[in-house]
Amino acid sequence: MLPLAGGGRFCIFHPAAGPSAAVGAAVYVHPFAEEMNKSRRMAALQARALSAAGISVLQIDLLGCGDSAGDFGDATWPIWVADVAEAVRWLRARTGFAPFVWGLRSGCLLAVAAVAALESAPDLVFWQPVISGRQHLQQFLRLRVAGELIGRAGADRTGTAELRAKLESGATLDIAGYALVPGVAMGLDAADLAPLPARVRVAWLEVSSAEPPELSPAARMRVSAWQAAGSDVRPVAVAGLPFWQTQEIAECPALIDATTSAVLRWCA
Amino acid sequence: MWLHFVRFSRGPPQVVVDRKGSGLDVHSEVVKVLRDTLSLKPGGAPMAEDSPLLGAIPELDSMAVVTVITTLEERFGFIVADDEIDGSTFATVGSLVAFVKSKLGA
Repeated sequence: MLPLAGGGRFCIFHPAAGPSAAVGAAVYVHPFAEEMNKSRRMAALQARALSAAGISVLQIDLLGCGDSAGDFGDATWPIWVADVAEAVRWLRARTGFAPFVWGLRSGCLLAVAAVAALESAPDLVFWQPVISGRQHLQQFLRLRVAGELIGRAGADRTGTAELRAKLESGATLDIAGYALVPGVAMGLDAADLAPLPARVRVAWLEVSSAEPPELSPAARMRVSAWQAAGSDVRPVAVAGLPFWQTQEIAECPALIDATTSAVLRWCA
Repeated sequence: MWLHFVRFSRGPPQVVVDRKGSGLDVHSEVVKVLRDTLSLKPGGAPMAEDSPLLGAIPELDSMAVVTVITTLEERFGFIVADDEIDGSTFATVGSLVAFVKSKLGA
């Protein structure tokens, strides 16, 4: 437990192990709502793989998520950003290494936002990053109105626009079993995976069903923007299933191998 | 093409993006999304411009429609509002391709 404002954050610490000396450290930032649950196994497998390669990993459950204190409705986006920064500080003090921040999906948005709160810009690992927070919020709201999309005519719908208006007026929405509060929704809405002014190293990894694996057109454009801003971005696509959303819990060993070799290059 | 393929001494094949980029084949991207999200077998349902979707492909129920929209949003980087789509958007492969093109401003 990491003692922070609002109560303890549940953390799992994987100390560097394996035959060689410790070479680095990483903080894992989980995705939003159900995607967090779907991706637990992959996060744990990657954390163990990094640990075995000499990289200490801290997995933090953000306020109101997983086994941390508080309810989902107690959280706000800025609290989550601060949680990430605190996790980095704790791990740096504990290991002596400047940790890189590894995010999955909306966890990448939080990772980028946390950079501004940190004393020095960390390197970043993006797993299937959410590029637009607004798009991610829209998709979450759509879960409530799915059945209406192809049925009734436009005017009769309780659409996502109405749900957004409720959030903007301060209401909390119950969506897919989560209490979505304006403090989270509006922060997510404004979040964007914009290139950082600080020049950092970024391992940008996506899974793909294409043969050979490929990044999506949207990701390719954003990678170019980050590179143009001066960051050292290495995009990698591997074959695999979208494990953060599959019905059954899925594993993607190629992603773990690619991630481990990408970050070990930083530690060399 | 957009991509170069390189292989490092360890790990799986890796894809490196070429910064130059070029045109996008919207039709084949949309067909790829449909086949993937609906788990359609290659060579199964026809995917020509005028091939019917809604009502003709049993896998395409309302939840699948949401998945298709979500996947298109993420692949192409746009946001779909509810009032931009209805059943007619998903009438044929061609109508869906036309919708994506309009979102891309192409």
